[in-house]
Amino acid sequence: MSLGLSHARWRVQRLMHQLRHSLAAPSRNPRMAVVIGRLLGAAFLLCFATGLYSHFLQDPLPWMVFPVRPIWLYQVSQGIHITAGIACFPLIFAKLYTVFPELFQTPAVRSFAHFLERASIALFVASSLVQITIGLLNTYQFYSLFPFSFRSTHYVLSFVVIGSLAIHIGVKLTTITRYWRKRDAFAPDGTLVEHRDDPDAEFDVPDELRRLTGRPQAAGVTGRIFAWIDRDPSSSPSVAAARSSRRGFLAAVGVAGAALVVFTAGQSFRLFDATNLFGPRKNGIGPQGLPVNRTARAADVLDSATSADWMLTIVHGSTERSLDYAQLRALPQFDAVLPIACVEGWSQYANWRGPRLKDLMALVDAPVDADVRVVSLQTNSRYGVSHIQPEFVKDDLTLVALELNGEVLDIDHGYPARIIAPARPGVLQTKWLSRLEVLS
Amino acid sequence: MTAVRRWQVGLISGGAALLAVSAVLLSTEVAPDNYLGIGVWMLGALVIHDGIAAVAVFAASVLLRRAQPRIPLAVILVVQGALVVAAIVTAIVLPAIVKKSIGTANASILPLDYLANLGLFYAGLAVVTALAVGLCLLLRRRLGRALDRDVAELGVGAHGD
Repeated sequence: MSLGLSHARWRVQRLMHQLRHSLAAPSRNPRMAVVIGRLLGAAFLLCFATGLYSHFLQDPLPWMVFPVRPIWLYQVSQGIHITAGIACFPLIFAKLYTVFPELFQTPAVRSFAHFLERASIALFVASSLVQITIGLLNTYQFYSLFPFSFRSTHYVLSFVVIGSLAIHIGVKLTTITRYWRKRDAFAPDGTLVEHRDDPDAEFDVPDELRRLTGRPQAAGVTGRIFAWIDRDPSSSPSVAAARSSRRGFLAAVGVAGAALVVFTAGQSFRLFDATNLFGPRKNGIGPQGLPVNRTARAADVLDSATSADWMLTIVHGSTERSLDYAQLRALPQFDAVLPIACVEGWSQYANWRGPRLKDLMALVDAPVDADVRVVSLQTNSRYGVSHIQPEFVKDDLTLVALELNGEVLDIDHGYPARIIAPARPGVLQTKWLSRLEVLS
Repeated sequence: MTAVRRWQVGLISGGAALLAVSAVLLSTEVAPDNYLGIGVWMLGALVIHDGIAAVAVFAASVLLRRAQPRIPLAVILVVQGALVVAAIVTAIVLPAIVKKSIGTANASILPLDYLANLGLFYAGLAVVTALAVGLCLLLRRRLGRALDRDVAELGVGAHGD
């Protein structure tokens, strides 16, 4: 290597060292990275588990059977998914902040293993930032911002996030175990047990560039800037000040997380309804006091749903029954108080009334363990057709609802008839029913 | 092989297996014409984080470090914490304000006045921050006076003996 290139290399190394040194702060240490990382890891795992549950409810594998009780199961699981996802924002910002000086490592890549480690971190940072951002934008239905399908991308990225997270934890496991417990992380005098001296090394320590050229770190334009930054020895605060600084940092992250939860979770949980300042939905706002996702106009069913010829056709093999609205109303009617719980996290309880699905199945002699295909009048959406698994079909609370909160269903809520079942996502509570087909 | 080493092997191979699953799912679940958009978003996240947010955090860190000798640490921590909370809440709410101004599919989506609510939140945060700063300064002054009194009393006691 020529002398000039060698100097350039050591100059870059010095600059990186100076950047890392000037970023040293009491809250940027491996113990804090472990504390925040644990919370973030737990939040990501919670999102992954609840996300998979929601995914398989919508696209079940043939052998899957889902619980139908408690009736609020999906409301809670998806509410947790969205709320934990929102809480990930302050946690991921905090985690990135605690390890920020690592961005300026020198040499940038030391070995192939180090390259893989940094690549896995880059993949983890990119995928998790994209994942939580598109998740948030989905709750606002701000689809015009991303040139890809939300649902499939969010699903695939969840495996990328958890996969790269596992690799990251594996790579850092020695550090994680070293700083997992507070008593191992701090010495009896309250100072952090350091296992490396950089980036907290003293400013202006002799380095390779100085050995080669005699140039001190405080020389030149950048050297003077860094010397100005470092003029006061605040990078080495007292033990008490460092402790206060760390507590202040944790308090800020905690308050930010708590504020987001308190001011948004009202869309999912009634407990927080009064403090719902920023939730994308609000209980009580919508036709008949209930939010909607897809209107009759958007589904292009205004004419077909209000047609005097409307009938609900029930098919089982060669047996077929068609019932008009009056005939449906003449059947025994049942009441169910069930939440409509959306994949976007909002949910609200309502009183539903109509015939039970299992009674309609009995009209065409369907077997007890019938699997039902539900066809809507809407044809411009993938949710125009849905499947109801046997455990939901035979449940007493699964209704073909004709009324909502004591009134005839609003057309935006699925008039003349819609499905409502416990513990299922709102997108599967098919509106504007047209046919019920027994599949097995 | 130590227990930590075994966990490392398990975690890294498990993670690699999940990445392999994601690669398969990418080919089966996502339309190829989506790949470019996803790639741009992933790259954009790194650029925004490493190129823009990192520079802003660096500048803020430097300013705070320079401000520290002049302002009491407790006040710095309270103000810094309040700014962080405000920044994070703004980042979450801003897209809702923008989307609402563009228009939503129906009136029950984004039904609240998010701009006014954000203003309300800032006002509440400012009041809480001001109270916390006032409390910090008050405690500091009382502590200072008590310390002075103790020193003075100690001095008198020494003379009396």
